[in-house]
Amino acid sequence: MSAIEADRFDKTVTTTCGYCGVGCRLEAHARQGRIVSISPAEDGPANEGHTCLKGRFAHQFTRSRDRLTSPLIRENGELRVASWDEALQRIVSELTRIKDAHGPDAIAGLASSRATNEDCYAMQRLIRAAIGTNNIDNCSRVCHSPTSFAMRKSFGLSGATGSFSDIDHADVAVLIGVNPTQGHPVVGARIKQAALRGCKLVTIDPRRIELADYGVLHLAPRPGTNAAVVLGLSHVVQREGLTDEAFIAERTEGYEAFEELLDAYTPEAVQEISGIPAAELERAAHLYGEAGTASLLWGLGVTEHKYGSEVVQLLCSLAMMTGKVGKRGSALLPLRGQNNVQGSSDMGALPDTYTAYRRVDDEPTARLFEEAWGVGLSRRVGYKIPEMFDAAIAGELKAMYVFGEDIAQTDPDIAHVQRALESLEFMVCQEIFENETTKYADVVLPASAFLEKCGTFVNAERRFQLVEASIDPPGGARTDFEIIMTVSRMLGHEMGWETPWDALDEVARLTPHYAGVSRERVGRTGLQWPVRPDGSDSPTLYDQYFDRTGGRGAFAALPYKAPGDAPDREFPLVLVTGRVLQHYNAGTMTRRTGNADLVDRDWLEIHPDDAERLWISDGDTVSIRSRVGATELDARITDRIERGHVFTTFHFPETRTNLLIGQSSDVNTSCPEYKVVAVDVRPIAEQPAFTPQLTGVA
Amino acid sequence: MSLTVTIDGTPVEVAEGTTILEAAKLVDAWVPTLCFDEREAPFGACRVCMVAVEGAPKPLPACTTPCRDEMVIDTHDATSRRVATAVVELVLSELPVAPEPHTELAQIADRLDVTASRWPGATHDVGHDFRHPYLAFQHELCISCGRCVRACDEVQGAFALTATGRGFESNIAAGLNAGFEDSSCVSCGACADTCPTDAITEITLLDGVVPDRPPRPRERGGRKRRSLASE
Repeated sequence: MSAIEADRFDKTVTTTCGYCGVGCRLEAHARQGRIVSISPAEDGPANEGHTCLKGRFAHQFTRSRDRLTSPLIRENGELRVASWDEALQRIVSELTRIKDAHGPDAIAGLASSRATNEDCYAMQRLIRAAIGTNNIDNCSRVCHSPTSFAMRKSFGLSGATGSFSDIDHADVAVLIGVNPTQGHPVVGARIKQAALRGCKLVTIDPRRIELADYGVLHLAPRPGTNAAVVLGLSHVVQREGLTDEAFIAERTEGYEAFEELLDAYTPEAVQEISGIPAAELERAAHLYGEAGTASLLWGLGVTEHKYGSEVVQLLCSLAMMTGKVGKRGSALLPLRGQNNVQGSSDMGALPDTYTAYRRVDDEPTARLFEEAWGVGLSRRVGYKIPEMFDAAIAGELKAMYVFGEDIAQTDPDIAHVQRALESLEFMVCQEIFENETTKYADVVLPASAFLEKCGTFVNAERRFQLVEASIDPPGGARTDFEIIMTVSRMLGHEMGWETPWDALDEVARLTPHYAGVSRERVGRTGLQWPVRPDGSDSPTLYDQYFDRTGGRGAFAALPYKAPGDAPDREFPLVLVTGRVLQHYNAGTMTRRTGNADLVDRDWLEIHPDDAERLWISDGDTVSIRSRVGATELDARITDRIERGHVFTTFHFPETRTNLLIGQSSDVNTSCPEYKVVAVDVRPIAEQPAFTPQLTGVA
Repeated sequence: MSLTVTIDGTPVEVAEGTTILEAAKLVDAWVPTLCFDEREAPFGACRVCMVAVEGAPKPLPACTTPCRDEMVIDTHDATSRRVATAVVELVLSELPVAPEPHTELAQIADRLDVTASRWPGATHDVGHDFRHPYLAFQHELCISCGRCVRACDEVQGAFALTATGRGFESNIAAGLNAGFEDSSCVSCGACADTCPTDAITEITLLDGVVPDRPPRPRERGGRKRRSLASE
């Protein structure tokens, strides 16, 4: 740091942003123990000297007055301040009691996709080794678990096939069910610049997203009909001979069945299902099929559906039939939602896999970890998040250890979640703020935010990046890593680490895919897994072969099936939920920053025609009711959304958007169907939106 | 195809299309710049990056001049330095206050030994806008380098900032000069990041620097109309 900078800041630390999955590298400048400013790192590979308002400005939450600074324990129904000793003792005695009485499978833990790899690795080790169950999951369950499942099925590995820089080399980019300028702003800016330089964008989304204005074609399918759209694109590609026969023959398997399936998905048939004009679908298929290089990007608009994982498999199939995978500019880039949603799953915080997606019922893998940890390990696959709630209500699950996830605000069917949490005998929340979930906790532990801890995140490009602490946790708060290690030690399982880097070394030692990962090697610009023992990494996957047995990619002949919910007479509109630029998921962090001055509420977006029909004016409060719940929101009239659809965000707890979401979920991964909910919307403003004219008034 | 150029006596091989400024960086030759930012396309507006090229009748801007094979470049050339120094001196003469020491302008002035201006007289009117939760305008510090406008266009793609006024009145504005919040601004802060004078900066960095800054109202609900500080 120069002398002049030293005058302004006490210290500057290069770290990785803790908001979305883009993984911007940041310079955090601190003075007197507080962050005063954050600027983008010029050499950040994902952000290249840029960042968005969340990464750059939304850091005041770290010193918010509501930060948890001491443990809380429940006594006579109320949470009271407690010492660390008291809180930890309570956790250990309760977990031991429940384990003794009901067995280890009566306990479940949630790792956090907001936390570091080392935190998540420690958490899954706590649950597996110290408790003795595979009941561990993380919030990728409710966002990109279908992507992970499908990409493993089709290609072999659970991650993007390329890097964000592929966007700069793509002639065509197809965006499906993703709104990067809001959800992943730095990638959004990159796509926009690419489009301005001549990259042709095709956007497929029920809403006319901002990037649609920069693209050559926008398709607005009915929510839940993505499979038909992708099959329709494949149909045209096949019919017009835009396939890469050599690639199909040499690199893939199962094409015949897929080709046979395509016959039925003529553009006319797809128009019937999705509402997309046949001619536009044809044009999109030509754009993609004829391009020299073309990338596919998708987000939760693809995954958070009943058949989300199947649509991802179909996208993989579309890329394979055109040979557009494993090449510069031809990548499949799922835009991961959270900063470490890739890493938390990579680290084995899943009920069925250890690190790098090796199954818990695979004997050699289980032996490897038994040997490393010195304990016997369960071979039984644990509960996924939704199964945990069901098991709690059924009385089979007695205790939960929830780390960094506000399940009572973000998971679907909140009433069901609340019933589950009420059914538990004991719950621990490890959090930075009190939230909807801590209301049900018996012990609340004050933890640390990303600016206060060390470790690594893995971004949406599979890139390990360093996280370094620039400030200390406030008051009595501790780092998550330290808390989890302590709880484990008190439960009788000593992890034997001192710093998060020791945990990272253990991950590298036990996981061939991350063999070459270390703090020094990750360095300033990161490493994209698989990382070989010599430290060389893999920016592009599958350039030679796919990572499946036999080395071939697998086509998936999966027909379109109707979504889990559909509008009817009682619930005539379809609700889609999503994020806005200024806020982040449950808003725990961003609501406590100046971002709340920019956007201070959730809105319900509604088409002008629907609004007129329902007598709703811009800004009116409306009631919105689904099959499972109801809430109230202010309406915003916009023609960015199609007739028959409404859209809202879920950033503010007072809205409780997720009360509306039912329990329909992805058939393979139980990822909730947040994106198709039939609802009824009515004005409830005290003053009617349309007042009949009084006689005699001009 | 690669070209060979000689910078301050050091030969260096560069790819076709490399600018003199990029080549100079390769051999660690310092060329002062004001309107240049690596994240943006070269602009060539400020005329601070002038260098001498053998055979050229007068100094050339390093940021926009592509290298040619066998070019001989002198970054220490006296005429070029005189031009650069005079430009920085003129720029400073328009400001009512000296730029903060951490700003790029102050650091370049320091390195070029520009301490005071020979041209006293009119300075920019003081105009502050602190209505946005994070971003502040200090219009009197604007030197019209265009970096913020280009960052907004070329890095973020929000197209929220624009150059306004003419001549001495040249300045920057968000949208129709109604402040960041009433423009297409997405609050990414790329403008504040690139600004070489703090004409756009982060509000939090002004704590203790601008004493008359009013506390920001923090009420919730509805669109807020915060007062202008001193326009």
